[in-house]
Amino acid sequence: MNYVIKELLRHLWRTMASITGYIIATLFILLVLSVTRTIEKDSFGILKGTGTHFIVYIPSDASCCVSCDSEGASTGGSLFAEGVFTLMLNSDLITSIKKMDGVKDAAPYLLYKLYDEKYKTEISLGGIDTSSVATRNNVCAATNIITGKFLSDKPDEIVAEEAFANAHSLSVGDTLNIYGGRLIVAGIINSGIKPGKADLYAPIENVRTILKDKLKCISPGFDMNIVLVEVTDARIQKRVIDQMKKEMNYLSVSSYNCYEPAGQVMTIIEKTSGVLTIMIFLFLIIFSTKTQLTSLMERSREIGILKSLGWSNFRLSCQILLTSLIQSFIGVTIGCLLGGLIILFMNSNNIRLFDTVKFQFQFSSIPVLIILSLTGGIIASIFPIIKLYRKKAGDMINNYL
Amino acid sequence: MSEYLIECISLSKQYIRNKQIVRAVDDVDLSISRNEMVILKGRTGAGKSTLLNLMCGLIKPTHGKVMIDNNCISELSDNAFSKLLLNRIGIIFQSFNLLPTYSVYENIEIAIVPKGLKPGMFENNIMSFLEQFDLKDKAHLLPSELSLGQQQKVAIIRTLIKQPSIIFADEPTGSLDDETAGEIIEHLLNIKKEKQVTLVIATHGNILEKFADEVYIIENGGIKK
Repeated sequence: MNYVIKELLRHLWRTMASITGYIIATLFILLVLSVTRTIEKDSFGILKGTGTHFIVYIPSDASCCVSCDSEGASTGGSLFAEGVFTLMLNSDLITSIKKMDGVKDAAPYLLYKLYDEKYKTEISLGGIDTSSVATRNNVCAATNIITGKFLSDKPDEIVAEEAFANAHSLSVGDTLNIYGGRLIVAGIINSGIKPGKADLYAPIENVRTILKDKLKCISPGFDMNIVLVEVTDARIQKRVIDQMKKEMNYLSVSSYNCYEPAGQVMTIIEKTSGVLTIMIFLFLIIFSTKTQLTSLMERSREIGILKSLGWSNFRLSCQILLTSLIQSFIGVTIGCLLGGLIILFMNSNNIRLFDTVKFQFQFSSIPVLIILSLTGGIIASIFPIIKLYRKKAGDMINNYL
Repeated sequence: MSEYLIECISLSKQYIRNKQIVRAVDDVDLSISRNEMVILKGRTGAGKSTLLNLMCGLIKPTHGKVMIDNNCISELSDNAFSKLLLNRIGIIFQSFNLLPTYSVYENIEIAIVPKGLKPGMFENNIMSFLEQFDLKDKAHLLPSELSLGQQQKVAIIRTLIKQPSIIFADEPTGSLDDETAGEIIEHLLNIKKEKQVTLVIATHGNILEKFADEVYIIENGGIKK
């Protein structure tokens, strides 16, 4: 050890050059990782929420509410989903779906449409659970509000889809005399393309109250006609749907297949990130090996002299290994510190890649970098050590042959 | 069992230079007894340094073998060969082969570091050698700060500090002036006399001949008495 440290200090420029190599490699990896992780995190955040939702229901050949109407006469309304009549569902289904592997959340949804004489059209009303993420991605969310406010606990408040509001010249605060009551437009919303889209939305409890006279089939336990489902990751959506179809084959599933491209993009990003890390690691090893080999060539005569004095190959190998490890450790330590400072500087000055990608110091990458660097140091020593064992002292001193 | 300490049997070393085979050492048979002083004499390029390097195992022969104490040195394990070099063989190089970034003291010290001795145990020994060779005040200097004669003395101390029983010396006086060469020769003769070592010296000059037990002439890689 003493000799190794003396050796490192004696050839200070060579040592510094070697350490600088590790610093540059570490910095490079750290910065690339900080960017790729940010890109991965940001894009995954978006892609993970893309196509992670679907709805399930039981289709019916007749309007439930027509057949269920106590008077036996049609009320003109019906429970529906994706253009077909549906049956009411038992709320136990929510519990069963939530328990399935890969399901992040499941929420009840009550979607009803009724022909309105005044507006001369069918007006759909969706009863939602505003707290569920499954509702957010399948129906609408507070973030979709354009004007006004989102739903509150007030029993007569609704939000209207922008297209419906425009078609009927509705604005916030207007009163609608529909569904046998007075409903006040609290906000206008544009939920985009969603499988559970309706014209008007209200909290599910309120909708149950509004529809209690129309839906005689609403009873404790049967108070929804759609289950909104959110899965944890777009890449597993197909598996969850398949499993659901297998276990609950009476259900119909409607999903926008955007989970497929989203899943593919996520896989590509993940693989690219992995390949990039491997490539950088290989670069580090090649660089370290070259540094160690150069060092061995420079020290060849010196090592030959030591061999001629009786220094064993094992002792010299240990020194090469230790030298390489010390250099790589110092390099990776300084590299990490420097990388941290550079990222800190960039962030405090709001410097971003392409003005969008933020550099994020990955603390979790430090042990990985240390291990990579030390592994690089070990691998880098292998070739010089093989060379050391293969060459005789005289050849090393005189450059024989 | 051979009575000789060192034996070279059909020893050859060939290498390729400019696409031509050079027979640096060609089928040499040589036997050296204990405590002998043997001179390998020849012109520059005759092959004496290569023969010396082959005898102490620093290079690998193309053919033949070298026996030391009835052991073929090319068949020894790495560890055993290192121990042989560490404990029994001392080599004095023509170009001294001192480590340029090490002080005089450190250059001597590295010869005994592998023996695993504690620093205090060899410090007195090194200083006593330096005193004996008039280099006590040069201990902290780098080789480049010494004269050629002083560098050669350091190389000899580095060899002697290991207390070897065989010393191979390649042109030990080759690059020295007459006065310094005489001094070095005196040291070598004293070593042979006091320490009972076997000396194998390669030289192109005549100065050492009169002290030798055997003188061999090396010519075109071959050997004759």
